[in-house]
Amino acid sequence: MKNKALTATVLAVAALLAACGSTPKATTLLDQTRVEYRMAQTSPNVATYAPMEMKQASDAMAKAETAATDRESDADIDKLAYLARQKIALTQEVAKRKVAEAEVANAGKQRDQLMLDQRTNEANAAQIRADAAMQAAVVAQNNAANAKQQTALAQGAAADAQARNAQLEAQLADMAAKKTERGMVITMGDVLFGTDQASLTSNGMATAQKLATFLQNNPQRNVLVEGFADSTGASAYNQVLSERRAGAVQSALQGMGIAPNRVAMRGYGETFPVATNDTAQDRQLNRRVEIVLSDEAGRIMPR
Amino acid sequence: MTMYSRRWLTALFSVAAVLAVGCSSLKTPATADVAVSKAAVENAAGAGGVEYAPVEMTAAREKMVLANKAMADKDYKLAQELAAQAQADAKLAQSKANSTKAQAAADALQESIRVLRIELERNL
Repeated sequence: MKNKALTATVLAVAALLAACGSTPKATTLLDQTRVEYRMAQTSPNVATYAPMEMKQASDAMAKAETAATDRESDADIDKLAYLARQKIALTQEVAKRKVAEAEVANAGKQRDQLMLDQRTNEANAAQIRADAAMQAAVVAQNNAANAKQQTALAQGAAADAQARNAQLEAQLADMAAKKTERGMVITMGDVLFGTDQASLTSNGMATAQKLATFLQNNPQRNVLVEGFADSTGASAYNQVLSERRAGAVQSALQGMGIAPNRVAMRGYGETFPVATNDTAQDRQLNRRVEIVLSDEAGRIMPR
Repeated sequence: MTMYSRRWLTALFSVAAVLAVGCSSLKTPATADVAVSKAAVENAAGAGGVEYAPVEMTAAREKMVLANKAMADKDYKLAQELAAQAQADAKLAQSKANSTKAQAAADALQESIRVLRIELERNL
């Protein structure tokens, strides 16, 4: 009876000692946890950013290893290994977070610098645009001033031209000029010459003087002096008379300082009558000298 | 002989008792552990654990349910173990959520820097 009890007690002690024996056990989860533990141990980020979490993971790992050394049941080892594994994963996550936060801090500085650069650029660009705009404004102002000046000049020129035209018209009206297809034509009638003579009367000289003044004022214009006679008498005589009368006007103009090359002369005798030659009044109209004014370029359309 | 045997027997019983106590777990009530783990799970959920670490969050919540059941069954050892695992899961979930969010912020910042650089180069 006592021996039986002794034997049972000895067996129980032996069994318990065996359970607490020193050969380490291993499970799949524990092996995996060891691998991950070594990775965390060698990670510089974990060492830098998660030392406290690593300490806790190490403690949990040590408990799991102790359980393995003590040859506890697989289920018990796995429970401890699981805790260690989650804590190891935690170290990696904490390290990851801190790395990202450091990156944010660094990138924030970088971004601030870039934004500063951007603003500097914008300011510079704005300055350049402002300068360009100012230059453009100055140019525009100059242009406007030039245009104004030109307008004033043009207006002045127009006014001058208008004044000249008015003067011209006044002068021509004074000489009873008529506008014809060949230009302005001034007719000096028979009364401005002595009867059957080529010399100008005082009235004729006055008309010639007006014409000379006009030619002096308008140096670009020339004149053609044309003499005509009526049909009374021989045509040869009439031809000569017409030439002499035209010549008298030419000489008078030359005497008043008009260059000979500006005054052309033709005698047409009894041709180109302006009236019938039937009455004394009509014949007087035919006896005449016509002075044709050239255009601005000095040209005269031939008869 | 009888006296001698009795003494031996008593010594052996004592050793057995010590070993038995030494190799067994404590059976104190795990109420505090369960409460701490519950708080850890709630914190993780608040940090976005469900969104960023669904596997760990689900594991933590399931273990909390089992831990509460073990408490009701008065299996305090199991309750304590489950609470410890749930806590580890919850902490990992929270940390994963935080690291993912921080990484997203860093990525967004890097992207904005990239865009800024392009803009800068275009303006130069």
